[in-house]
Amino acid sequence: MDTLQHLMTGVTAALSLQNLTFALIGCVLGTLIGVLPGLGPAAGTAILIPLTFKLDPTGALIMLSAIYYGAMYGGTITSVLINVPGEAASVVTCIDGYQMAKQGRGGTALGIAAIGSFVGGIFATIALVVVAPPLAQVALKFGPPEFFALMLVGLCLITGLGGRSLLAGLAMAVLGLLIAMIGIDPVRGAPRFTFGIPSLYDGLGFIPVVMGLFGVAEILLAIQQPHRQVIKTNLASLLPSREEWRRSVGAIGRGTGIGFFLGLIPGVGAIIPTFVAYVFEKRLSKNPERFGQGAIEGVAAPESANNAYANAAMIPLLTLGIPSSPTIAVLMGAFIINGLTPGPFLFQERPDLVWAVIASFFLGNILLLVLNLPLVGLWARILHLPYSYVCTGTLTFCVIGAYSLQQNVFDIYVMIACGVIGYGMRRIDMPIAPLVLGLILGPFLEKSLRTSLEMSAGDFSIFFTRPLCLVLLVLAAVVLVASALRLPPRELREASSN
Amino acid sequence: MPTAESKAAKRGWQIACLSLLAIFLPALVTSLGYSLIDALGPGPGFFPFWLSLIGAVLSAAMLAQATVAKADEEIAVSPPDRSVMLQAIGMLVALIAAAALFEPLGYRLTMLPFIAAMLVILGARSWLAIALTALAGSFGIFHVFYHWLKVPLPIGEFGL
Amino acid sequence: MPKLTKCLSVAAIVLAALTGTATAQQDFPNKPIQLMVAYPPGGSTDIAARVVASIAEKALGQPIVIVNRGGAGGQIGWTELARQRPDGYYIGFINLPATNTVILDPERRAIFTEKDFTPIINQVLDPGVIWVRADSPYKTVQDLIDAAKKSPGTIRTATTGILSDDHLAILMTEEAAPGAKFRIVHLDGGATQFKEIMGGNVDVAFDNVGSIVKRVQSGEVRALAVLDDVRSKFMPDVPTSKEAGYPTVISNSTRGIAGPKGMPAPLVAKLQSVLKKAMEDPEHVKKLDDQGIAIKIMIGDEYEKYFAETHAKAKKYTEWAKNRPM
Repeated sequence: MDTLQHLMTGVTAALSLQNLTFALIGCVLGTLIGVLPGLGPAAGTAILIPLTFKLDPTGALIMLSAIYYGAMYGGTITSVLINVPGEAASVVTCIDGYQMAKQGRGGTALGIAAIGSFVGGIFATIALVVVAPPLAQVALKFGPPEFFALMLVGLCLITGLGGRSLLAGLAMAVLGLLIAMIGIDPVRGAPRFTFGIPSLYDGLGFIPVVMGLFGVAEILLAIQQPHRQVIKTNLASLLPSREEWRRSVGAIGRGTGIGFFLGLIPGVGAIIPTFVAYVFEKRLSKNPERFGQGAIEGVAAPESANNAYANAAMIPLLTLGIPSSPTIAVLMGAFIINGLTPGPFLFQERPDLVWAVIASFFLGNILLLVLNLPLVGLWARILHLPYSYVCTGTLTFCVIGAYSLQQNVFDIYVMIACGVIGYGMRRIDMPIAPLVLGLILGPFLEKSLRTSLEMSAGDFSIFFTRPLCLVLLVLAAVVLVASALRLPPRELREASSN
Repeated sequence: MPTAESKAAKRGWQIACLSLLAIFLPALVTSLGYSLIDALGPGPGFFPFWLSLIGAVLSAAMLAQATVAKADEEIAVSPPDRSVMLQAIGMLVALIAAAALFEPLGYRLTMLPFIAAMLVILGARSWLAIALTALAGSFGIFHVFYHWLKVPLPIGEFGL
Repeated sequence: MPKLTKCLSVAAIVLAALTGTATAQQDFPNKPIQLMVAYPPGGSTDIAARVVASIAEKALGQPIVIVNRGGAGGQIGWTELARQRPDGYYIGFINLPATNTVILDPERRAIFTEKDFTPIINQVLDPGVIWVRADSPYKTVQDLIDAAKKSPGTIRTATTGILSDDHLAILMTEEAAPGAKFRIVHLDGGATQFKEIMGGNVDVAFDNVGSIVKRVQSGEVRALAVLDDVRSKFMPDVPTSKEAGYPTVISNSTRGIAGPKGMPAPLVAKLQSVLKKAMEDPEHVKKLDDQGIAIKIMIGDEYEKYFAETHAKAKKYTEWAKNRPM
């Protein structure tokens, strides 16, 4: 088989001491980039591009790719330990991961995240080898109308995040969508809700908002605790219990599937697969109320989805030359700067290079696991530090992170404000997750709707005449109805008491 | 029997709903100022208008629901005690001050006192540990970020 | 404090400030310089900026830190640039005609005008190009225009952004070929354009040579025309708009470095000489050539003149764009 032969050649090349070293460096750097605030994968990768001028193309690409999927894991570490997402895509892991850490199960959370990431990454890479080109072609069919419908499906899943009150969940989602409108209108260029403040022209930054709602709010809440125990983690509890393994297996499988399929579609972005995997897992669970209180599936599913997404997103890049996300666009820039244009022709011109890079994905995922599993105990020990130090560290972290995005102090203020708001919301049990999801989906929804209408010169029927789009719209309706039929406790209680 | 705590929770919820209305209604009015539909298709005001409208309706419904229902015993909010409030306020003041001084004074000169202050507010006692941490967190981190990682952190008026 | 002391203090401060500025100019730079790119990392402005920075910082003796201030099509970055102090420590890339259209579009409510910048040196001039998928029925520009005349308003034509140079180029084409009308779809950059063209969601794209040259060379797409009066050295087989019979359709995108207004002339001169040398450096030339990005260094009067001309041209088409029905 031609492919297998290519792969074998690639594996041999990837196993060379030099390339192995590059993969290792990439994984370490990537994890660090994910952990460090203010250095998102895109910026981190861009900064390192000049470094790779000195390396040969294969080595450079192996290293940069390793940085990319390494960063996906790194962001998890801070999500679990201090409830601050190290990079945007890790925000969902905060929900259950941090709760697990508070219960002394932080090491387990990190461990299952590492394992889930590994499975997700390996599976996606296998699929890359086996089914890439035809699948990628199908993904191309996702034009703006299909995108809109897909985002609509995502929106309908929000009802699964509502917590106690369906109305509150919906209101928060609408608020999130509305806040996403702040800034310069993506289609017409007119500033909306900016009140003459230039810093608002690009909207409220997602990272400062999320750092505030999750990280800062958490610290404000934690001060409430009159006696703050130092959390004890004993080594035995680093491994998941048998029960937890059982629950995680399914979650990892489903998360991988969701992450993989969404990774194929260019433009989806890393956060959406994690949300979808989380909500999906919660829907399927027999005890959904465990989610948000430290359910291990709530970590396993999004983490697998995350890495499956990251590896799958390389497929459109390598087979068609289309970058799926801003970070991958940076990777593509790295390819180009090294004289290579990703796309079908690259497979033909330089198969040795492409297959070496693909083989290094396998190795990289293994390396990540080997690197991170032993370190899990070390990371978890951070929680043993005196409370005042952990909180101060978190706040410093958040300040740097919020500022570094755009070198703008305004973002720090946004973070502080969101911290106060998040604190208030937590105290009265107002759900935060739908707000975040609305914030993410808002720009996608609006842009894809209006671009679709540009394509059809204002004709709304475009959504119903394209078969794929129609299927997705029906799916959205199905999800909405299914969610509505499952009333959350508060409404049920009130209904039964009448 | 509704306790003081659960009444507080109900009150909190009502205030939240009112705040939501205070966001959605002005947003509704503002979006009317942006064009809703014109010759070039749905305008900048289209989405915000409908979202504000739906949001306002939902918030009103939530408010009504909360007002009509009895205070739910299961949901309680206990008011925080004084020392905790002071700590929280101290933390916020420190954060705001740090943000305000971040660019004028530069990263290092701002974070040094900030970290020290936060540690003290949150209960750290060892002066040596506080001093070392503050130094590491300000000068140390600056060196790593600025010189190695090339992430620009501000340098203030005094060159620091 | 007593009046005399007060006067003396004021005089001392003024003197210090004056000499401070003078010394600041003499031993410029004595701390790192920030070079702003108004787009997120990884784009072609950003990559070219990093190349030039890594070479120029050696000559300057101080690091040049790339600051990405992306968003709002560049408006955020340029707003920031216009508000900085003209002391040479904060300069940035301006992209014409994008910077011009942001100023000219009343809806954008930009707080800066064309007078708020000190142009220093131009780096790149990337000509516009019209391209289609390799299996498209349009083999030449004339095919496209004939089709646009035959069924006006049906050919889905992609730009990389509203009021980008591509957008203006489409309008120039419609002006040069009366009766032709395109259905304009604004996408989000070259990568999205490529995806939608390959997926068949749009029919033709207006972009710049640098973004698409590799794909033209590999045969994945077909370039119909380069919107310049000379052929591109990276795509020598592609006719120019002039050769195709539309000499007025000249469109390009330039990237140059500017500072806030009021930069002292000696400072500007120093930056110009350092940056010019960096841009002429063989490593810089090679890296940009490899990517298909055409270098065009413009300094001083030449750059100022180019700025003014581009601004005037952009004004005309921006007004048309704002009033053109779908």
